[in-house]
Amino acid sequence: MWQVFRANLKGIFRDRVFLGILVAATIFPLIPSVSSLSMRQVTELSITLSFSLLTFILLLLAIFLGGTSLWKDIERRYTFSIAGLPLTRGQYLLGKFAAIAVFLLLVSLVLGLLLLMTVYVTSILHPPIRPVVWGNLVLAVLFHCLKYILLVSFTFLFSTVSTSFFLPIFGTIAVFFVGTASQQVFDFLQSPSGQKLPVLLQQIATGLYYIVPNFTAFDLNVNAIYALDVPLNGIGLTLLYFIVYLVIILSCASFLFARRELN
Amino acid sequence: MNVIEIENLSKTFRGKRRALVQALQSMSLTIDQGETFGFLGPNGAGKSTTIKIIMGLIRPTTGIARLMGMDASHSAARAKVGFLPENPAFYDFLTAEEYLRFVARIFGLSGKALNQQLERVLSLLDLQEARRRPIRGYSKGMVQRLGLAQALIHDPEVLILDEPMSGLDPVGRALVKQVLLELRSQGKTIFFSTHITSDVEVICDRVGVIVKGKMQAIERVEDVLLRQTSGYDIHVCHPRTGLHKTVFSEAKTLPEIIVSSRDEGFEVIKLEPRRQNLESFFLDIVKSNHE
Amino acid sequence: MKKLVLVGLVLLLYVSVVVPFTAYMQNKPFVEKLGYVPSAATLRTTSLDQQYLVSSTLIMKVLFYYGSLFEAQKNHIDIPPNYDGMVDVIETAVKLDPYNMDGYYFAQAILTWDNRRIERANALLEYGMKYRDWDFYLPFFAGFNAAYFLKDYPTAAKYYQRAADLTGYALFSKLAGRYMYEAGKTELAIVYLKTMLASTHDETIRQSFQLRLAALEETRRAEVARDLFIAEQGRHPKSLAELEQTGTLDFPLVDPYGGKFFLDETGQVRTTSKFSFAGAKKSRQ
Ligand SMILES: Nc1ncnc2c1ncn2[C@@H]1O[C@H](COP(=O)(O)OP(=O)(O)OP(=O)(O)O)[C@@H](O)[C@H]1O
Ligand SMILES: [Mg+2]
Repeated sequence: MWQVFRANLKGIFRDRVFLGILVAATIFPLIPSVSSLSMRQVTELSITLSFSLLTFILLLLAIFLGGTSLWKDIERRYTFSIAGLPLTRGQYLLGKFAAIAVFLLLVSLVLGLLLLMTVYVTSILHPPIRPVVWGNLVLAVLFHCLKYILLVSFTFLFSTVSTSFFLPIFGTIAVFFVGTASQQVFDFLQSPSGQKLPVLLQQIATGLYYIVPNFTAFDLNVNAIYALDVPLNGIGLTLLYFIVYLVIILSCASFLFARRELN
Repeated sequence: MNVIEIENLSKTFRGKRRALVQALQSMSLTIDQGETFGFLGPNGAGKSTTIKIIMGLIRPTTGIARLMGMDASHSAARAKVGFLPENPAFYDFLTAEEYLRFVARIFGLSGKALNQQLERVLSLLDLQEARRRPIRGYSKGMVQRLGLAQALIHDPEVLILDEPMSGLDPVGRALVKQVLLELRSQGKTIFFSTHITSDVEVICDRVGVIVKGKMQAIERVEDVLLRQTSGYDIHVCHPRTGLHKTVFSEAKTLPEIIVSSRDEGFEVIKLEPRRQNLESFFLDIVKSNHE
Repeated sequence: MKKLVLVGLVLLLYVSVVVPFTAYMQNKPFVEKLGYVPSAATLRTTSLDQQYLVSSTLIMKVLFYYGSLFEAQKNHIDIPPNYDGMVDVIETAVKLDPYNMDGYYFAQAILTWDNRRIERANALLEYGMKYRDWDFYLPFFAGFNAAYFLKDYPTAAKYYQRAADLTGYALFSKLAGRYMYEAGKTELAIVYLKTMLASTHDETIRQSFQLRLAALEETRRAEVARDLFIAEQGRHPKSLAELEQTGTLDFPLVDPYGGKFFLDETGQVRTTSKFSFAGAKKSRQ
């Protein structure tokens, strides 16, 4: 598994993905000047924009790296040559997943540093009313990264049952939509107007809420932008949720992949 | 121990528009340790399908496939097996050296042993010059040789090769033939599929012929060749006129014909046993299956 | 050779298209329409985890729209601003990001003098106070609105107290009381505008505040001169011109909006522009 991880990480780097990210990251230096368009919250806007850039890059990476990873191996018939090795399908899958997960972590680290620098520059030029809480920024970057790692696990889950990259990519985009909206829908169901909906619909929606991932919990943007306190127990619970959910999805993916015919 | 055991194996593919393709039909085969087995069959006969089942890439519809005494789906079964897939493709962003190290490490090699094996297979398959170039830039034959190198890097007991000669030039073929003969003499078990009957003739102990998903014959190569020797071609030449002639004789009449040619003033230049070789054996089976 | 000609031809074609195209784009009337903005709930769902970006973008959109209107007004082009549209967009934006100060600030800037939708402004500020519970600006604005426009002094006092609590700055608690006197009105509007000015560097907004501030300072100057005249002469002046003639006003009053200052029947200083370019234009006609 370790070897599969290493080889795949190398592959991602050799595909010049990282270079592409660095090119995209050249937008960061523009953020301070764009942020000065804000009337009252220049630093806050620069944090908002930096996070938007970071999460956008991570989203693209998660969907395209994750969605094409297994598919590419099958399509280019690498699976045949891997099949001769004394590896279980699960080890192979996890190795590949780990490569992307670690790559996302690395990208988050680099982009996170750029983000901190950008925000620092802005906060020097336009000191905000409430001082920036740097710890919040770091936490928010980390949790965004975890969120996208969770999303990558879905691309793998879909890849194990699909022969093309359509399901992995579009399926994952759908999961992302549902996952970011699920909390909103759930809150609506709890509200008086939600209670007026047909009971069956309420039950189905509530059931779905527990099945689909909840990405809202990973969004600490507001805490980072407006220097609000981060609830520690919430963070802990979210971390646990991440681990448990990831284990479940990866187990399902491994189970399905072990039964997959590799033609 | 039986290295490969296939019992009553069938495989049905569900193709496009729900059409069913019977790729294998109740096939059985056992390969002993130390044996060299040639797997012959026309295109689409089911050779690769059989090999994929043995390597656990696909599951049989019915029947059992065992490798090293374990079910083929067990990854541990492959620990002492070297495998070359048909038209192989490897992580092409790596160099040959990196790929071989990757494979070797998965087989549990490390340190000095790994380096030794690496040098051995690189020189064995004439890949020393290209070792630091990405596989992306390799020619078809180079990839094929790398495929053999990665199958041999952990010095496996068993080799399962799907068309090891495909894509190779005559030099490469001779090289691979040499390598296989060498392995055979070391007592390794070799199972390979091919279209080339002459390779089977030279390398194999046993041959199996598969047509349309059914095993048609499993024979010792020696037996086939012996049974098929039908007579001799006698090449003669008249020293004065320079006239060349080839005369066919059955084994029984051979001495008489040589004597009578001499009497006519011819010199015998070459005596060739006309073996109706493996090729005709193979073609006969395929033909009879067509009718 | 042939290739060169071909390349040249294509280039020529491009130039001959791009020049009129650019000219067309430049001369297009600069009316940055606010356009259709979907509901907050829809936006929140479709913006995925970019709702803060979407919120900021919406506010920028309104700001640019306002900027173009302000330009037009300065050039005496009268385009009636779509205030309701602007505030709708801002309300959507702060639903996406209830902490977005730009939204509250901008709403406060346009809903007051320009538009006189004070209740709407204060409702929005109330909403913001629930989230930005550390920010004294929101109660400060709300207090100003309540006192200056609504003349609801108890409510204003409540807001100013809140602003004072948040800053520990006693000025705010005194402000409400001073509003009770008509005389204090101009002075305190000046304080308000100075606070607004100090906390932004957006050029459009600054310009609009500076204009108003200049006008208010002129008003104040007139009021001071008027009061001085009353004290010295024991009677009300007939007109502002009288103040100038007696030397109580040392140099003529200038309305930056282009209007003319005058004294109304009750003796209050007013201007024909009513603090807007449009008003000045109307009064001249
Ligand atoms: N994934 C698949 N779906 C449908 N049919 C398949 C699939 N794979 C193989 N087949 C069919 O199974 C049969 C056997 O194919 P196989 O690849 O085993 O032949 P082969 O003996 O290796 O041929 P070749 O000498 O050309 O390599 C063929 O008829 C092929 O069309
Ligand atoms: Mg084949």
